[in-house]
Amino acid sequence: MSDSQASLPIIDHPNRRRFLKTAGATLGLAAWAAAMKPLLDLTPEVNADEFLQKHYRELTPEQKSVVFKRLEEETKAEYNADVTISDPPPMENVLFGYALNLSVCIGCRKCAEACHIENNHDRASNNSYIRVFEMEMGGIDFEKGNATYDHPVPAPGKYYMPVQCQQCENAPCVTACPVEATWKEKDGIVVVDYNWCIGCRYCEAACPYHARRFNWEKPEIPAEEVNPVQSYLSNRIRPQGVMEKCTFCLHRTREGRLPACLEACPTGARVFGNLLDPDSEIRWIIENKRTFVLKEELGTRPRFYYYFDE
Amino acid sequence: MVEAQNPSRPAPQEASVALSYFGFLRRATGVATDGKWYFYVWMAVLSAIALVGVNAWAQQVRDGMIVTNMSDHVSWGLYIANFTFCVGLAAGGVMMVIPAYLYDDEEMHQVVIIGEAVAIAAILMSTLSVVVDLGRPDRFWHLIPGIGKFNWPLSMLTWDIIVLNGYLLINLHIVGYLLYMRYLGRKPNPKWYIPFVFISIFWAISIHTITAFLYCGLGGRPFWNTALLAPRFLASAFVSGPAFIILSMRVMRLLTDFHFSPKPANTLIRIIRVSMCVNLLMLFSEIFTLFYTGGSHASSAQYLFFGSHGANGLVPWMWTSMALNIVGAILFFTPAALRRENTRIVACLFCVVGIWIEKGMGLIIPGFIPSTLHEVVEYSPSLIEWKVTAGIWAFGLLVLTLILKLIASVFSYDSTREDSKQQQTVPGETKATSIPVETIS
Amino acid sequence: MKVSAGKMLYIVAFFTIFALSVQMYANIKTNEVTVIPPTSNAVTPFPVKINPPKGLPEIPTDLKDANGNPILVSCNSCHGVRSPNPKNGSMGPLVSFHQDLDFVHGKLVCISCHNPEGSYADFRLASGESVNPKDIIKLCAQCHGPQFRDYQHGSHGGMTGYWDLRKGSRQRNHCINCHDPHKPAFPLFRPVAGPNDRFTPHQVKETHE
Repeated sequence: MSDSQASLPIIDHPNRRRFLKTAGATLGLAAWAAAMKPLLDLTPEVNADEFLQKHYRELTPEQKSVVFKRLEEETKAEYNADVTISDPPPMENVLFGYALNLSVCIGCRKCAEACHIENNHDRASNNSYIRVFEMEMGGIDFEKGNATYDHPVPAPGKYYMPVQCQQCENAPCVTACPVEATWKEKDGIVVVDYNWCIGCRYCEAACPYHARRFNWEKPEIPAEEVNPVQSYLSNRIRPQGVMEKCTFCLHRTREGRLPACLEACPTGARVFGNLLDPDSEIRWIIENKRTFVLKEELGTRPRFYYYFDE
Repeated sequence: MVEAQNPSRPAPQEASVALSYFGFLRRATGVATDGKWYFYVWMAVLSAIALVGVNAWAQQVRDGMIVTNMSDHVSWGLYIANFTFCVGLAAGGVMMVIPAYLYDDEEMHQVVIIGEAVAIAAILMSTLSVVVDLGRPDRFWHLIPGIGKFNWPLSMLTWDIIVLNGYLLINLHIVGYLLYMRYLGRKPNPKWYIPFVFISIFWAISIHTITAFLYCGLGGRPFWNTALLAPRFLASAFVSGPAFIILSMRVMRLLTDFHFSPKPANTLIRIIRVSMCVNLLMLFSEIFTLFYTGGSHASSAQYLFFGSHGANGLVPWMWTSMALNIVGAILFFTPAALRRENTRIVACLFCVVGIWIEKGMGLIIPGFIPSTLHEVVEYSPSLIEWKVTAGIWAFGLLVLTLILKLIASVFSYDSTREDSKQQQTVPGETKATSIPVETIS
Repeated sequence: MKVSAGKMLYIVAFFTIFALSVQMYANIKTNEVTVIPPTSNAVTPFPVKINPPKGLPEIPTDLKDANGNPILVSCNSCHGVRSPNPKNGSMGPLVSFHQDLDFVHGKLVCISCHNPEGSYADFRLASGESVNPKDIIKLCAQCHGPQFRDYQHGSHGGMTGYWDLRKGSRQRNHCINCHDPHKPAFPLFRPVAGPNDRFTPHQVKETHE
């Protein structure tokens, strides 16, 4: 082998070379297995039924009740809370609209707190679908807005603007989702199938209103604080790694009840109802107050209206 | 005497097509894993880094994406930044294909395959970068049309999945076909690769255009919502891609037996000169439009270049990237760049790093700062994000090394079936280097 | 191999038609508007209940009755035997009673609302008409018309219950649940704790333009 330019004597011999290669490959596989070990910690949560579960809109009612039962059992096992998961369908002849009176909102954040409790959000992050901005009077400039204020409200020279999902008619998040995990229902609510979402967060990039939230980790809620009245598309405890958003409390509003944020508001700044009912309060607001929507120029056609009294 | 051949390899005339392809794969694996000591060290180091990345990703899947530094304000970070850059790298290969096949540049013909190899590695890196960014990678099957739900043609992500996978398949086919034909000692049949080459020209441009459309279609993010985004992406891709290819060619020239003319590199440099100027011009156009008009549209650019609300984490990155790009461009314009010296290596490195920063930190992150409701939340990647990204790059370089090694062997007449019989050397070995060795008889 | 002009034209035409079809399809998918007729009010709705005012306050004296309960004094006990002071609009002249009463209600005086001709146990409108304590909303509404109009349309004052009165009832606050009639300005609130963001947003400094 006078022409051979093998650099180290030990690997000159092909058989030894082959042996070393095989040994190296085996070591590599073992190292690979060791590297993947953290995934083994997930095995108790792996569930074949959940993995194979179809999209919500393709499930039959029987399959749905099987899924809900499984989810209730999982909630009991993971959070030690007895819950019921329902699936209220959209009401006929109903298109939800929401209005907010900026002259009356005092920025107390009780709406955000009620949302946090009603929707079983992670406690440590004090997460809520509603973010209340303290704005400078004289304009609607979010550059001067502040959502982390901590002083008695209302402060002089400021007004308060809670922002949540606008349930847009032409929602960019619905267009963006690659797997159709989010869609607009007949009553106008944009919902998410938490068991279908792959967590790519394209919808969060697409939303112009900072309305969508991602579960960066598994939510932690003490058992006694879990709201047991849950529904599949709204306030059941979401798994790690999926998107979520305000659903206008559809587990309440589809039964005719007011959403939790509205009930908590002490000043009555929030108005909710059926846009298709000409006698509803929300219609009166739209017809008699000068309502506006955020970022109208984007063409999203929100169903959340803001107005001032004077 | 050392047995140089694979003892179980049949003679060419007797093997069937299927067996010969299998034999090709076996041979390819053997050749691609044979080399000098520094080859083994390189591969071991890359494997180690890749495994560190795998472990970090496994931790991320278990603990949730809270181990990254992304938040509801900055919901895309290092992974998507890297994805964007790698798609650009993959698209850069087209700048070799066009001269070779549309303008019949004979010398370029010899080395186009290097560009396609870079494209394969880059596409793999970009796909991996997206997979590690998914909150629920176990639900990957939801994306498969027919089995899952594929929101095509509305969601730009679905277009991206189609074009990236298609480009990978096209390049795998072309590279695999040419190598296989070379291995068999046959002339490649144009019918089997020329149409794909022409498709790949349009397809390469489409992958980066569609990636740009992912961002520029979002009205809620005015920093991205500009028609200039796709052309900017292409211009910077046609700098970073060819620059990376020149670096690969230099490595091949130094470390392998693959000989090629210096003209293709010069063609690439001329292309880089033009592309870099176009890229800088477009950047300048963006900056002027944003800052001259002002208003809240400029707030992302304000944050990026000068800091805002007391936050200025990206300012040093951006100015460094500007400096790297401009100095790199100037270096490319010097006569020394057209000679086989180190000027072009420095220029290539400057441009690759400069464009990585510009596309990644300078484009993806500021799309989220300020947020859609004008809140400024800063972002810098966590250790796990760096580890995963390093692992992805290590994997890409692993794949690239293997393919380039195979190309070098095949095109250096070392691994073809007819020549193997006469060979005395172990396949894949290169000629004499400066390392003194003892010969073993 | 060069591509001929004819082939280029063909390719461009194909892509144009394809792009137009995609756009049409996208428009159809996103601009779906279903027209649904409005509801009819055939079903009798549930009531909207307004929290009733608790009635006139009765003030406890130091004296206790036979059962040990404090003896309560109603408005009339004192105001029935005193003549009203039409000019009294502040706490200054009150030296013997009502000294802990806070009174900030615009330019009103006591007998703007309290009926001096009646028994002080009722109120009066600006026209002099007597108003039963149960109907005090009329008293607020006579001046605060816009707020009352908004209140009637659900845009002022909290509510709980049902938006759909065919399914359930609704509870409304009374004006005086939130607005003390003597000092009606809505008090300052301490806000609930804000979002506990992992990375706190940077704030504009006050001097920033």
